Amino acid sequence: MNLTYLSAEIRRLVRNKRILIFSVAMPAILLLIFGGLNKGETLNGVGVAAYTMVSMGLFGSMSAAMGSGGSIAVERGLGWNRQLRLTPLSPGGYVLTKVFLSLLMAVPPLVVVYLIGAIGLDVRLPASTWALVGLGSWLGALPFAALGVVIGYVAKPDSVQQVSGLLYMLLAAFGGLWVPVEVMPHLMRSIAEFTPAYWVGQVARSPLFHGGLSMRAVAVMLAWAVGLGLVALRRFRADTARA
Amino acid sequence: MTTTSDAPAVRLAGLTKRYGQLTAVDSLDLTIRSGEVVALLGPNGAGKSTTIDMLLGLSRPDAGTVSLYGVTPAEAIRRGQVNALLQSGGLLPDLTVREIVALVAALHDRPRPVPEVLDRAGVAELAKRRVGELSGGQQQRVRFAMALVSGPDLVVLDEPTTGLDVEARREFWATMREETRLGRTVLFATHYLDEADAYADRIVLMRAGQVVADGTAAQIKSVVSGRTIRATLPGADLATLAALPGVDAAEGRGDSVLLHCTDSDATLRALLAGTAAYDIEVTARGLEDAFLALTVEGARS
Repeated sequence: MNLTYLSAEIRRLVRNKRILIFSVAMPAILLLIFGGLNKGETLNGVGVAAYTMVSMGLFGSMSAAMGSGGSIAVERGLGWNRQLRLTPLSPGGYVLTKVFLSLLMAVPPLVVVYLIGAIGLDVRLPASTWALVGLGSWLGALPFAALGVVIGYVAKPDSVQQVSGLLYMLLAAFGGLWVPVEVMPHLMRSIAEFTPAYWVGQVARSPLFHGGLSMRAVAVMLAWAVGLGLVALRRFRADTARA
Repeated sequence: MTTTSDAPAVRLAGLTKRYGQLTAVDSLDLTIRSGEVVALLGPNGAGKSTTIDMLLGLSRPDAGTVSLYGVTPAEAIRRGQVNALLQSGGLLPDLTVREIVALVAALHDRPRPVPEVLDRAGVAELAKRRVGELSGGQQQRVRFAMALVSGPDLVVLDEPTTGLDVEARREFWATMREETRLGRTVLFATHYLDEADAYADRIVLMRAGQVVADGTAAQIKSVVSGRTIRATLPGADLATLAALPGVDAAEGRGDSVLLHCTDSDATLRALLAGTAAYDIEVTARGLEDAFLALTVEGARS
């Protein structure tokens, strides 16, 4: 990975602001509404505010992670990929930079949402739980980073925002980030278990219930990351071979 | 300048690209030696861009081989020996001019100093502007800076002056001249005859995916030998004129006649002695005639 390339990408992100603002503001506002409404209530022994906070953090980091990969579609439309092929930067290095950026961009939504939770909604957790929740949520960006790369190579430049927007809304809803899986109708819960968002949610929330990460959920989440990563690799190879 | 061997800058052999029924490039052979400035000239659809894409490894040939300095395009690019100005796109609108040129520089092993290249390409005063805010002509100069910044031995330019006004075209070629003086090898595609004539040592004329002529501008012009006599002769009988010595063909245009001649001196003597023709002009046929003769579908010289 080329550091100058990475820093140029970061500069562009900060300059465009759109992805950053969207991925931070949307979950922050939703948290204030839903978390604030049910503040003080509990669900299976866990505060609703804390539960909502973790879900909204994931919602934000997920959209940020997908947005990074999705930018590949826009850059393909600009002919930037052709331009890069006139440089020694390998196509693999380019995609790795995008994945790295996904992980980087997943951080601000988590930080902001946790601050709102701790300060605005009085969420109190043991330090180890904060750390595990944060780590689980951050690693949860991995499958969505890979999904973003798939979208980046499949979607048309002018429709990539709609495609990824719709997809992550569906994933968030069916994955239980908006409505807790515990209160979902049976059918919806069955569907939820087939989404990566559900398993990422299980990973991130498990410390709230058990004080530790659910290893089963971590395994399924990583399987999703690997699976989507392989699909991304196939799309990426097909794209660079066709040229 | 690092040339690893005596291999030619470009060697294309049997290069072929098909799009369905259409053969865009048809077993093309082309060798360019180090230091040559070559124009790839041809009408739209002749296969120039397709050839350049394959030459740069951006597109895979259906048959044939490409070697740049004796290695594959990807390897030559990795070594920084080749860079190109593509016909369109390739810019990130949200970076500044300096940032995008510096970015391309940072991806190469031995880049030229960015300020020097910005200056050379005439974008130094635009360095802090966002690429997306620039005019088409200014963006073209940014692309040019991006092509030069790696310090390539071979620069490939795909229709570099399309969309530029006359002044910008002249400035562009003045800069290019400076670069070729440094011994750089240049291959540029164009459909402007005057550019090929003025700036290339060698013109490769393409039609329907094939090379139809290859040589200096003078050699190409000589393909259509002879001169044209233009004269005013009201009521001329074209058949009589066509029968004059040295005349190949005669055309009438109102009161004017055009005589295409193989021996214009003999024609001129006969014309002056036997007719009332006046306002006589004799012109050599130019590159344009050669271009038309060689590239118009079905024409054979």
